[in-house]
Order: sequence, then structure tokens, then C-alpha cells
Amino acid sequence: MPEQTRAAAAAAIETRHLTKRFGSVLALAEASISIGKGEFVALMGASGSGKTTLMNILTCLDTATSGEVWLDGVDAAGFDEEARREFRARHIGLVFQQFHLIPYLTALENVMLAQYYHSVTDESAARRALEEVGLTHRLDHLPSELSGGEQQRVCIARALVNEPPLFFADEPTGNLDEENESRVLDILRRLHADGRTIVMVTHNPVLGGYAQRIIHLQHGRIVS
Amino acid sequence: MAVSRMTGVLLMRALSVRNQRVLVVFLALMVGAAIVNALVSVYFDIDIKMSRELRTFGANFYVGPAQAHTLPEADFDAVAAAAPPGLVEAGSPYLYGTARSELERIALAGVRFSALKRLVPYWQVEGDWIGVDFDDRNAMIGRTLAARLAVGVGDPLVLVKDGDKRTLRIKGVIDAGDASDSLLFINLPLAQAWLEKPHTISHALFSMMNREGEVEGFAEQLRGGHPEWTVRPIRKVSSNEGEVLVKIQGLMGLVSIVILLLSTLCVNTSLTAIVSERQREFALQKALGAADGAIIRQVLLETLAIAVAATVAGCLLGFVLAQVLGQTVFSAGIGLRAWVVPITFALSLSVAVAAAAVPLRRIMHIQPAAALKGE
Repeated sequence: MPEQTRAAAAAAIETRHLTKRFGSVLALAEASISIGKGEFVALMGASGSGKTTLMNILTCLDTATSGEVWLDGVDAAGFDEEARREFRARHIGLVFQQFHLIPYLTALENVMLAQYYHSVTDESAARRALEEVGLTHRLDHLPSELSGGEQQRVCIARALVNEPPLFFADEPTGNLDEENESRVLDILRRLHADGRTIVMVTHNPVLGGYAQRIIHLQHGRIVS
Repeated sequence: MAVSRMTGVLLMRALSVRNQRVLVVFLALMVGAAIVNALVSVYFDIDIKMSRELRTFGANFYVGPAQAHTLPEADFDAVAAAAPPGLVEAGSPYLYGTARSELERIALAGVRFSALKRLVPYWQVEGDWIGVDFDDRNAMIGRTLAARLAVGVGDPLVLVKDGDKRTLRIKGVIDAGDASDSLLFINLPLAQAWLEKPHTISHALFSMMNREGEVEGFAEQLRGGHPEWTVRPIRKVSSNEGEVLVKIQGLMGLVSIVILLLSTLCVNTSLTAIVSERQREFALQKALGAADGAIIRQVLLETLAIAVAATVAGCLLGFVLAQVLGQTVFSAGIGLRAWVVPITFALSLSVAVAAAAVPLRRIMHIQPAAALKGE
């Protein structure tokens, strides 16, 4: 077994001395973390602590200036843009704070869009994903006809539909009221119980408490 | 198949939500297509139309003897036969001479009457034209000569020669405003017999379509092959005609280019605005794993769908516009040419693709991480 694959076998996500610079600004400094398969981890820190930068690198939306990134057993640091795109489509589920649904597609079509860029669309699988987040009755509604909580649940269904091994949520309840926050957290806990690896970015300590483990960042460094 | 369905859903929904911007792109492309379609139709019709218009000034091609005073009549037919198809609109041999009438000596011209109406359409004729070449019982007379002889339409005119008499009836009195006003026009064989010059003509006049200077080319060809002839395009008509045609066609080409450029700019501006508005949407698609090529294909498909619809509408509008131009300028319709449609499509779709080039490049530079950052 090659060394690279051995390293991957131990963790779903592993970084070594990960550094990211934006010009003269050091956004991430020598960050080394390891997240096991099936683990539910919260990345926490104040604004500007580097948690979003770390998440962008872990989701292959951005690249590191230096250091190693291992995702689901693969060395992602050497990916070119096409490889990052391909990896995102196949291995990563993403949930955003602002939901980012296509406004002119229905809930069902928004979920199917992820399938479209992954491989082929499968309406019944998309329906099941929306069923899982309790939106069977909203399949044909446009995002503008859904509440914030419902939009976020569509976003979660879209992230789940291709059954990616890595699930990332960036402030998933940041724009939600208490009731919807609790619903979304329930879904995340259920996904965790099903054995998915979940990384959640949040600055909310209460929310962080739902995770198995919290990684704290401060000024671009891992502090605990 | 399912992928195609999603492509269709994305296409139709994306077009339906941005009505105003899509309408602007549609109108810009439609107006461009309509004007280009109309101008291309007129462009290819104008030389024929202009030639016909200028034909009303009379003959524009002369063939006469270089040294002698006459030509064999067969030379006229040789010229007509050597002309490229469609070049000769009308032509007639002319044989001039003098004869005695009962009243005084007169100048006459033998012609082929059947060609006269098309050869000298500017003649004002009181009475009737003689329509057939073989009519040797009627004659046409210039108004000056008619006044001098005090004859009018329906009157007989008697030619006299060595005790021989030939009575002709005046069928039409000509007001040409030139030397024709002093001539008696009779059938060519009769003139040849009366003047005792069988199978002989003085010269030949033709009315030719001046397509892209073909007349001058034909004259050169005849001069090279027949040094015994004097061949001369009548420049006051054919040369001016060519210049006017070139200028008008150049103007139309220029207007078409300007319209296409304006159309491109307008479509480009609208597409840039659309791409800018949809930046987050494209960033999200990239985040979900869409390749740049897939998004570019999607936007290009949307643009081409608008362009095809706009070009179809533009072709219909352009045909109407061409008819308006034709009626206004030439008092005649512009022919429907099927091949103008693919030209319009090619130009219109090129405009759409050219206009989309810069906005499409912007899509490639969208960074999902930056574009999807928090509000």
C-alpha cells in the first residue's frame, strides 16, 4: 500500500502545515488537522480567524499556498482546477449560509441540478432526498415560495443527493430562526448518526456544542 | 436523455425569468437581422432594378463600321449572339437613307420595330407603336417631319422612286427630343429594298443590362475580335450607371456593417449585464461541479435560442422592409431570394456569438469561493 493511501485510510480529512496567503495577509498558518471518517467536527473562531479559508480549501473551492491536504484518501494539494471540480462533484456535499438556490428552478430541480453536474439526473432519488429533509410537499415550489428554513433544507437535500462521503456546512443556521435552526441541526445529527463525515463552520458556541469535536482557529492558526 | 431534459429546463427557465434583458437582446438581433436581410435583398436586386431604371434613357451600346459606311445585317445578329445570356435587353439594326415623298425629300430609317419600344422607351408616341418587324404597310414619323409634311396619325405618306410608289400609313408620331424627330421609321427590309442596300445596315444600337461593368467587358471582347467594327458603350448612360450602382451598393454594405456593429454592442452590453446578474448562479454551478465549458455551453445555448428566434422574426420583417424600399425607390417589389435567409442567419448568429465572447470569458474567471462568500 503506497504511503499516500495509508495516510488517507486513517482519516477522512487530514491537513499538514497548511498555509494560505492573500498577498501579504496570512489567512491560514501551518494548520494541521485530522478528521476521522464518520466524525462530526465544528470549525469555530471569530470573523477573520481563517475558518472559511480552511473550509474553502477542504471543499476544493480554493487552493493552499503550501502544505498538504488529504481528502477521502486522496492528495488534493496537487489538484488542478479540473481535478478539483471533479472531486467536488463526486466527493463533497456543500451547504451554504445563504442557501444559494437557483431562483428559477423548483426545489426538486435545484436538487436535480447537483445530479446533473455529477452524472445523470434521477428524479426519484431527488424526491427521496427532499423527503429525507421533510419537504415532500414543496417539490414544485420555487425558492421564493419557500421559507428560509425550507430553502436551507432544499440546500441540504441537494448536498446529500449524490451521497458524498464528505459533508460541509458553512454557518448552516446563520440565517434561520430558532425553530428552523433546530430542524436543520436535527437533520445534521441524523446524517452523523448514519455515519457521514460532517464539518460545520460556525461562530456560534451553542451550535458548536452539537459537534463531537471542535477545532478552534484564531488569526489563521489552530489553537485547540 | 435525462441530461437533455435538464438542459431544456435550464434553458427555458433562464430565458423566462429575465424578460426585459432577453427582450432587449431579441430586439437588437431582430432589428439587425431585418435590416441586413432587407439590404442584402436590395443589394442583389439593385443592379437589375437600377439597370432597368436607367434603361429608360435609351440605348447604351453602339456597333458601327470602323472604315466603311455600312455593315452587313448579319453582323447585328453576330453581336447579339456573342453577348452573355441576359445582357442584351433589346437591340435593333438601323439603316439610314434619304427618299422622296410626294411632297419633299425626307430622311428615313429602317429598323426592327419589335425592339423599338424597349430600346427607346423614352419616346412619347402619339398614336401607336408598330409592334412587329414584318409590318411594311405602316410607318412611324418624327414630330418635326410630321409637322413639315403636315401629316398625322392615320394619314397616308407616299414614297416615290423612279415612277414607283409606296403608300405607308402613319401609325404613330414620335416626340423623342432628338434627331429621331426628323426621321421616318419604316420596316428594315423595306428600307433596304427602297434604298437598294439589301442585307445592309448603317449601325446597330443595343440596350444592355450593366451588371458589374459587363457592358465594358463585352465591348472589349468585340473590339478584340472585330477590328472592322466600331464598338462603343454609350458612356453617358452605362458609365454613370455603373458608378451609381457601385456607390449605392457600397453605401448599403456600409450601413449593414454599422447596423451589425451596433447590434453586436447592444447584445454584448445586455449579455454582460446578464452574466453579471447571474454571477452567483454560475459560481454555485461551479461549486456543484459544473465545468466552465458546461456553463458556457448553457449561456451560449440561451443566446443562440434568442438569436434564432430573433433571426426568424428579422427575416420576415426584413422581407417587408425590402418591399417598402423597393416600392419607395424603384416602384417595384424586391424578389424573394431563398439564399438571403442563410446569409442573414450566418451574419445574425455570428453577431450573437461575437457579442457573447467577452461575457462568456467572464464566466471562466468567476471564482466560486469569492462569489459565494457571505452577504
